[in-house]
Amino acid sequence: MGDLVVDDLTIQYSSNGYAVRPIEHLDLHAPAGSLVLLLGPSGCGKTSLLSCLGGILRPRSGTIHFGDLEVTSLRGEALTAYRRATVGIVFQAFNLVPSLSARENVVVPLRAAGWSRRDARSRADALLAQVGLADRAAHLPGDLSGGQQQRVAVARALALDPPLLIADEPTAHLDYVQVEEVLKVLRTLAAGDRVVVVATHDQRLLPLADQVVELVPAVSMSEREPEQVRLRAGEVLFSQGAWGELIYVVERGEIEIVVERDDGSEELRAVVPAGEYFGEFGPLFGMPRSATARARSAATVTGYSTRDFRERVQTADALAVPARSRRRVSAKA
Amino acid sequence: MLVAALRDLQWRRRRVLIAIVGTGLVFGMTLLMTGVSRGFDAEASATVRDLGAERWIVREGAAGPFLGASPMSQDEATYLAALPGIEAAGPLVFTRKSVNTPKGGEVDVNIMGSTAGRPGMPAADEGRPPTKAGEVMVSSRLEGYRVGDTLTVAGTSLLVVGRVTDSTALAGTPNVFVDLADAQRIGFAGLPVVSSVAVVGEPSVMPEGFQPSSNAAARADLLRAIAKAKSSLTMISVLLWLVAASIIGAVVYLSALERQRDFAVFKATGVATRSILAGMVLQAAVLAVVAALLGSIIGSLIGPRFPMIVSLELRAHLTLPLVAVGIGVLSSAAGLRRIATIDPALAFGGP
Repeated sequence: MGDLVVDDLTIQYSSNGYAVRPIEHLDLHAPAGSLVLLLGPSGCGKTSLLSCLGGILRPRSGTIHFGDLEVTSLRGEALTAYRRATVGIVFQAFNLVPSLSARENVVVPLRAAGWSRRDARSRADALLAQVGLADRAAHLPGDLSGGQQQRVAVARALALDPPLLIADEPTAHLDYVQVEEVLKVLRTLAAGDRVVVVATHDQRLLPLADQVVELVPAVSMSEREPEQVRLRAGEVLFSQGAWGELIYVVERGEIEIVVERDDGSEELRAVVPAGEYFGEFGPLFGMPRSATARARSAATVTGYSTRDFRERVQTADALAVPARSRRRVSAKA
Repeated sequence: MLVAALRDLQWRRRRVLIAIVGTGLVFGMTLLMTGVSRGFDAEASATVRDLGAERWIVREGAAGPFLGASPMSQDEATYLAALPGIEAAGPLVFTRKSVNTPKGGEVDVNIMGSTAGRPGMPAADEGRPPTKAGEVMVSSRLEGYRVGDTLTVAGTSLLVVGRVTDSTALAGTPNVFVDLADAQRIGFAGLPVVSSVAVVGEPSVMPEGFQPSSNAAARADLLRAIAKAKSSLTMISVLLWLVAASIIGAVVYLSALERQRDFAVFKATGVATRSILAGMVLQAAVLAVVAALLGSIIGSLIGPRFPMIVSLELRAHLTLPLVAVGIGVLSSAAGLRRIATIDPALAFGGP
């Protein structure tokens, strides 16, 4: 069908009324016949990106092209047809329908595509044989091992021979023997015109990939000198969703911590006065910033690396700020 | 998706079975309530039909020939019976009394006094109608009395000479038919008065102070006394339909809630929402139809054992599954709405 091209993609969704942007300005080019790994920890936007590729989630901005088809412009029936005919999905928790046999699970997308009962059954049996489960076709998912269930899920995803196969954490619930079974299948499938995109945090999959997309920027843990930043009133120090490696102490002025709501408005979470610190959660736990930090007045802040910050907190006297600064502000920017 | 829906019913068979039994019982009760209500109509029609009159003559302003009648003298009745255009006529006395049952206790009966061989006296299904004072023909619904037994009404002993099958009126009250003189003695202390005149033919003139009354009016006269009971049964039936709808609706809604992930997977794999909805409608329909069949069986088994006439025609049995499917589909609306709004992203465990 062609290459998979993602251009300047930003994904946003609402979480308890707040805007969350796990992916911002992502570009990706996956040639036909390649296997792409989306690598990153939980919450970094792997699944959201897969959802967009699969035509399930609509991005906030940017485009996704698959061959000549602009996926992000599809609506209604066209989108359903895209999901049915172009995309095969292997879900993290297998997501087989427990009341249907392995064969019937594979038959579902075939019947939805208008195949006759007989042809669908024949195709399902062939696919199950392809993934080594010919003798398990009549079994319910509950009677299959995790690896077998995942292979049924792969067979279901391949039912209509989709040119795009996406897999969400396909090895998450498997032991190492079962992982090997699934990896072999995935590697084999990334051939010809088909593009396989796998979201995972499993480093064992790296040798399989033709391309690895790390969704978390590498954060330097090396020692670095404290960095002093002078801000004008209204100037943004860091934005919500950005990645950062420094924890800040306010030396002078005030910093306001604001959270963007899903309607575009802002909610003031806290005002950090001189002597207090903020922005520790992102660097300490490897997450993007959960709020925006902006100077409320002309301000000066000093950024510390996590290692430096820990040392200074443990030896409070060494931190050249008043003792009250060691109190964490309520906002977890 | 229809296969998936049926498989899901198999998968949840225990819950489905409980729902079917519960809904089936409710449908059975609904059927019986409907049968009893129709039985009221049927018994009134049968009673009027068996009396053999084409029309009735009653006092002007009277609501009917039975409960709504205003008594007239026997002489007036004799005069009316001879009006031109009348082919046959018989005076009728209607009253209600209690009689002792052979097993002890008392039971109400409708006393109808008339003259054998004339309109107002039905034919016997066993034995013969009373031809003189001291004889009585009873309904087969008056338990314990057979031909040759003695029935005592208001101190008057009567010999049972005949029986009429299932002859009842006023919500299953057995009818007993006596000679006119006995009825006057039992109901009016022997006064020569009658309730109405049963007529075959059409009188060409109607004396002042009297009016003709149709058989439809006669049926309405019998039904009026039990109109509130009938409307109560209708209300109970409606409530039972609602209970059945609630059971089916709850099962479908629970199924929709529990299978959200399945439906999200279906949607994510390109199955059209309408196909998923069709599967759920099929589930509701299957549930309703099987429950309706069970209800029909329950109704058929219990109906004949009811103390009142339960009129369950084939049409009622055929209508029940159709109404049940309608109710099942309507009651599953909440579940269907839920399914329609399921986000396929749920298949990934949310965005």
